[in-house]
Amino acid sequence: MDSQTAFMRNIRQSLGLAPDTERPKRLFPALFAKADTALILQDIENRTTEQQNELVEILQANALALGVNISIAGSHDEAAAIVVDLVRTKNPEFTHTKHIVHHDHPDLATLQLWKRFSREGITVHTSFSADQQLREKTIASFIGITAADIGVADSATFIQLTQPGRPRSTSLVPSIHIAFLKKEHLVADLREAYALLREKERLDSFVFITGPSKTADIEAQMVHGAHGPREVHLIVLSPPPIEKDVRETQNLQHTEEQQPNS
Amino acid sequence: MSATTPSNYRTAATAGIASPRLQKSLHGLQNRFGKGAMEIWATMTDQEMRRRVKDARMNTFAHLDIILAELAKNVRTRGGQVHFAATAQDAIAYTLAVAKRHKVNRVVKGKSMTSMEINIDPVLEDAGIEVVETDLGEYIIQLAGDKPSHIIAPCIHLDRNQIGELFEEKLGIDYTNDPPTLTMAARRALREKMLTAEMGLTGCNLACAETGHISLVSNEGNIRMTTTMPPVLVALMGMERVVATLDEHREALQLLTQAAALQKLSTYVSFLGGPAAEDDPDGPKEFHLVIIDNGRSKILADPEFREVLACIRCGACLNICPVYGKIGGHAYNSPYCGPIGGVVTPLLDGINKHADLCKGETLCGACKDICPVENDLPRMLAALRHKLAYGSDLWNTSQHSPAEAYVYSFWKIVIGNPRFFRLMLRTGRFLQRPFVRKNKMVRKMLGFAGGWTKGRDLPPLARQTFAELWKEKYAATRPNPIEGQNEEGN
Repeated sequence: MDSQTAFMRNIRQSLGLAPDTERPKRLFPALFAKADTALILQDIENRTTEQQNELVEILQANALALGVNISIAGSHDEAAAIVVDLVRTKNPEFTHTKHIVHHDHPDLATLQLWKRFSREGITVHTSFSADQQLREKTIASFIGITAADIGVADSATFIQLTQPGRPRSTSLVPSIHIAFLKKEHLVADLREAYALLREKERLDSFVFITGPSKTADIEAQMVHGAHGPREVHLIVLSPPPIEKDVRETQNLQHTEEQQPNS
Repeated sequence: MSATTPSNYRTAATAGIASPRLQKSLHGLQNRFGKGAMEIWATMTDQEMRRRVKDARMNTFAHLDIILAELAKNVRTRGGQVHFAATAQDAIAYTLAVAKRHKVNRVVKGKSMTSMEINIDPVLEDAGIEVVETDLGEYIIQLAGDKPSHIIAPCIHLDRNQIGELFEEKLGIDYTNDPPTLTMAARRALREKMLTAEMGLTGCNLACAETGHISLVSNEGNIRMTTTMPPVLVALMGMERVVATLDEHREALQLLTQAAALQKLSTYVSFLGGPAAEDDPDGPKEFHLVIIDNGRSKILADPEFREVLACIRCGACLNICPVYGKIGGHAYNSPYCGPIGGVVTPLLDGINKHADLCKGETLCGACKDICPVENDLPRMLAALRHKLAYGSDLWNTSQHSPAEAYVYSFWKIVIGNPRFFRLMLRTGRFLQRPFVRKNKMVRKMLGFAGGWTKGRDLPPLARQTFAELWKEKYAATRPNPIEGQNEEGN
């Protein structure tokens, strides 16, 4: 702590204050005043299906512009089919065998990926916290599959919180990253996303991911796949509306036909 | 900044201007990113945002002791270790000790300006540790034994052919000048390094005190690799690189990524606030945050320059500066180049030592217009010139050119006295005669004035001044002259 004392003393001196008088934070409540996010959270909470669908459209447009392959799945089965197809058609970059790894997450467990490749030479790993070989398995995998905690339509970003069973490397080390996003986890912009982050009980490490890894360091030419995944596939899980919502959706389509620009 | 060597401003600037390759790259860069950032500022709906972020930054500095203490407290709560380093040597010694304690053989670096400012690489290398830059641009620079020439695009001065030859020599691949193939070669080489390094070394773009996180932006993913795969992580952070709250973080981050690369967000924004939790399967086992002063408190103490600490290192001022746009980054002889370098390099490393930097800029004001936090760099460049002209005890600055001072005291007398002034003009017209060439320009002057005409011609003094012409042509027809006033004219 000694280095800190001298350091702070020096700062106070530079600010023209008494160097040895510590300033406790409680005397400056305005410094860390929490912004009032109640209204933002309310907006997110009360978003109608119609508004959510609008956000999905915005997300789609922004994701495409960034080179993210985005697809909308109506069910877990549909989503699983998309994953299976990617695993079968894509080729590993660093190895000759096909390993994939996915987060230990209920939504991904529902896909039952380990069942779907039982007759092929494809190994499916789950990133269980207790797995001592996880690092090697992740490095060996050419596809990493995660479930995003928050999606941001405005910038086509998804946010991953590091949690037990959901390590950072799954969305980083494999050449291809497949991210799942439930429609109800999609928010409009970063302001809303930050409001949600603040609500999280445990906020350790987290990352915003916006598109595939890229570089333009050689003659400003854009190349995908610098150090992270060179391909990103975003699967938005948007189940068909239940009975009550069907009418809403139809209304939406109706309105859209009348105002194609909206 | 011990990384710097005596000024080579003139020679490096001349070389930069003479290089068609560099001129083409700089033109492309400024055309895209400089114009692009100006366009974003002009069209953004929230026109108050830049002002707001600046105010928040300045408010942070006024309470920097409290905010840094909060940051340190929150990082320590998560099990991270925080070290406050007063000097570059202190930061280097601490980092080296961490590396030695863990018997580190290889360090992978995420792009960090601060690490270059304190010049830590040679010390680590002398200790037998391999240091590998992982940002592609920085990696190329490292392989070439060169120096970066742009804050965001470090190897902008190299073209694809040079990089192809470099990779052929250093990475042992077949020659190619195809950027995707070259990038893939570096991807493979660096992946190996990043997966096996025992220690990661990064900077910090913006720390958030309220939550106790540092955040790092990157497009390549190298910073995520560096902060995830090695078991030990050391993050170097200038003490001003902090915001108080998450809300302030969001706004500063959005300005940073838009100003730096016209992106709503960079590909990755990583938030780290300590070592991996016990139930986290990966991430560093040890997390060290080194908060560095190294001359910043002196800037903080001077109201004239405190503003420059608000800089978020986006590099936008490089993308618009007409001087940087011609001479390139090497002339600045510092990790911080362009207009921001022109202010911050002298303040951190000696105003006299870097006298050429503030004098080379034109004070045109473009850097102020493009700065996401509206830093008044031209004002500060002028203030630095003032220190050089008159000397400053506070900044331990001596008068840069006594001869220049004499010339200007003489000039002050001349322009204060019309008769003397006209006499000077007449003498000048007479004396310049032998120097005016066929193109009606003065090609070469004598003595130390010769420096001025080294790269350009000087228009000679006119045969008649404007005032003389006016008098001759219009004085007689001047409508309603007010008697007794302005008889002299001039």
